[in-house]
Amino acid sequence: MMNGKIALSAMVAGVLFCTTFTSAAAEEVVIKVWARADRSGPLRAGNLVTAGDTLNKFLTAAGTDKRVKIELNETNAKGYDDDALDLLKAFAVDKGPDIFVLAHEWTGAFAEAGYALNLEDHINKNPELYGDIIGPLWQSVSYKGARYAVPQDSEVRMYFLNNDKLRKLGKTDKEIAALPAKVDAGEFTAYDLCDLAGQAVQKGVVKYGILHRPNAGPDFQMLTESFGLVPYDKEAAKLQASKTALKDFFTWVKYCVDKKALSATNTSMSWDAIEQASFAKEEALAFFHGVWRVTDQTKAWNLKGKDDYQRKITWINAPAGKKGGKPSNLSHPIAYAVSAKSKNKDLAAYIVALASQPIPNMRHSVTTNHTPINYGEQSMPEVVDKGWALVAATPMLKYAGFMPNHPKIGQYNAVIFKGIQGVETGRLTAQAAADFVVDELGNELGKDVVIKN
Amino acid sequence: MPDFARAQLRRQRFNFALFLGPALVLLAVFFVAPVVIDLVLAFTDMGRTLAVGKLTLENFERMVTRDTRLLGALGITFIFVVTTLGVFNVTFALLLALVTTAVPQRLGAFFRAVWLLPRMSPSVVYALLWLWVVDPNERGLLNQIVVHVFDMPPIDLRNNHPLLVIILANGFIGASLGMLIFTSAIRSIPEHLFHAARVDGAGSLAIVRHVTLPALRWPISYMTIHQSLSLLVSFEYILLITAGGPFYDTTVFSLYAYRRAFESGEYAYGAALSLILVVIGVVAALALWRLMDMQRLLQPPRIEVH
Repeated sequence: MMNGKIALSAMVAGVLFCTTFTSAAAEEVVIKVWARADRSGPLRAGNLVTAGDTLNKFLTAAGTDKRVKIELNETNAKGYDDDALDLLKAFAVDKGPDIFVLAHEWTGAFAEAGYALNLEDHINKNPELYGDIIGPLWQSVSYKGARYAVPQDSEVRMYFLNNDKLRKLGKTDKEIAALPAKVDAGEFTAYDLCDLAGQAVQKGVVKYGILHRPNAGPDFQMLTESFGLVPYDKEAAKLQASKTALKDFFTWVKYCVDKKALSATNTSMSWDAIEQASFAKEEALAFFHGVWRVTDQTKAWNLKGKDDYQRKITWINAPAGKKGGKPSNLSHPIAYAVSAKSKNKDLAAYIVALASQPIPNMRHSVTTNHTPINYGEQSMPEVVDKGWALVAATPMLKYAGFMPNHPKIGQYNAVIFKGIQGVETGRLTAQAAADFVVDELGNELGKDVVIKN
Repeated sequence: MPDFARAQLRRQRFNFALFLGPALVLLAVFFVAPVVIDLVLAFTDMGRTLAVGKLTLENFERMVTRDTRLLGALGITFIFVVTTLGVFNVTFALLLALVTTAVPQRLGAFFRAVWLLPRMSPSVVYALLWLWVVDPNERGLLNQIVVHVFDMPPIDLRNNHPLLVIILANGFIGASLGMLIFTSAIRSIPEHLFHAARVDGAGSLAIVRHVTLPALRWPISYMTIHQSLSLLVSFEYILLITAGGPFYDTTVFSLYAYRRAFESGEYAYGAALSLILVVIGVVAALALWRLMDMQRLLQPPRIEVH
């Protein structure tokens, strides 16, 4: 009995000794990652974790005891704007991560605050790792001439029109197929779209004409752009708004509300309710969002491939405000940034580099229908096979712009959104909404915004 | 100083620290410190990065010269506080107290417990229930009745009458506190007064008017002051049910300060707005105190009745 106890004690002591010894010998470098939990892109954070694993394989092969541990903090903010505000607070109290995922237009805010690392040097020194990234995408993460983040994906936004509902309205397949070209030619305007959507509601074909996101976000920029609102003055490096363009835009919103194409309840609906109404329940004629929604639509209607999908759904750019005008689109890349406060800046930057390589990025692209960041991905068999939507949407990028990288563009967007909400819910007339936006922009942004006639 | 005197002084200090200390610490941490921090923040330029660049009067200047929503928020707050208080927190609470003390005791206790239920459930659950009640679709509780019983089209209270929704939601939960206070006040009225009134031929309404209500003067005054201050600063149900919308329709002043601070990341401006709220609260409390003659409540009684 006694011997048994001694043996047991010896064993416990042995195990303890081994554990202590190993942990003392192996050095673990913790890299904290901050990413918004997003159903439309779980691999944004996932690819960073995989990059950590890849790096650990290199380290094992090199015979060192150092290991990288990715500590992931997935936040539950409603959108990227809310998430950025939370992250700024976290940095302010010294609880910032080493790597963070952000919407590209926040790059300026984080660079200005001294939280985003200037990656210019790192990118220039590593052409083997970054050389294949699609050139124009870098523009979206540049602030005052330097790159402060690495684009993680890109996308195309559009109205998704439900063809079955269009057919119910009496449109022939030929007319439906001709619609995208008519939008691009400026023949089918934003007003025509609301006439069509309003007609669908009034005839009882659908409950909602057009459904859009319920909160502030980048989408609306392509709508305001169709009415000539240019949010940024590059030369003065200031945000700007034109009273006439705002009035034109809100006149259109009011027109759509009066036609019943836009619903008073849209901005008080939850995302879930909007998705339900747009996909499974088929209660909307048009849904306004981005190409990654193809994933949800394919699932909701059990569609098999491109032809099946195109029988069901038509994509159009945001039509021009008036006949003969230009349509518009928006690409809104999400990006990886490295903290300027990180103790392991170089390591964090290399993890971002690994996560941005064609194979991991392609996995994100094909599983969530976001357009890839590397030229090479476009010819990969998986992209050709599963990413038909990305290939099909690419021509729409011809009309795409980015959001300006001004630190206060998030607030600018939120004000425009409140104006839209005011008109949709019947609280504001078109003129009152334009005045509201001008007042609020002055109120919130002060000297950062220039109001023009 | 003799030893015993010193020991007594020490004991007094110890007792002071033991009995008043915790309350003072709480008061300092949760009441004094926030006001001081708020006061300082209001004069800075703290924005999204929480960095303070300079001390400035800009926030107050902005309030006076540029903020066009401020007066609207004050107006909404006034309607919200006065209606919720007048209809629910005092009047309805009084009605509940009168009714539940007039019925047999067990039944009264049961109804009071029912009215207390929302207080016992977490705010989010209570708010979610309201969201379901006023859901604009046919599945909303109210619309199930409207559509199936009255055969009318579904109504959308949250969009068309948002202020009514937040007054109802706050009122139904707010009435329970007044109900409890008034019930205990009614209970403490000497039983013989009721018997005497009956003997003198008073009916139920006359008893309420001439016996019960005069005895409730102070509880009613107290509830009015307490609940006005509480309604002035609370916005949790509003945030959860309407988020201050549609547009700014239900953005009461306290929520307005919150939205400016946390939706736009303008923390200093939010602090300055909160400071105005503190001033309004103090002025309202003093005015009500005077109006209700609360001073008399605190005077020692002239005769002691046994």
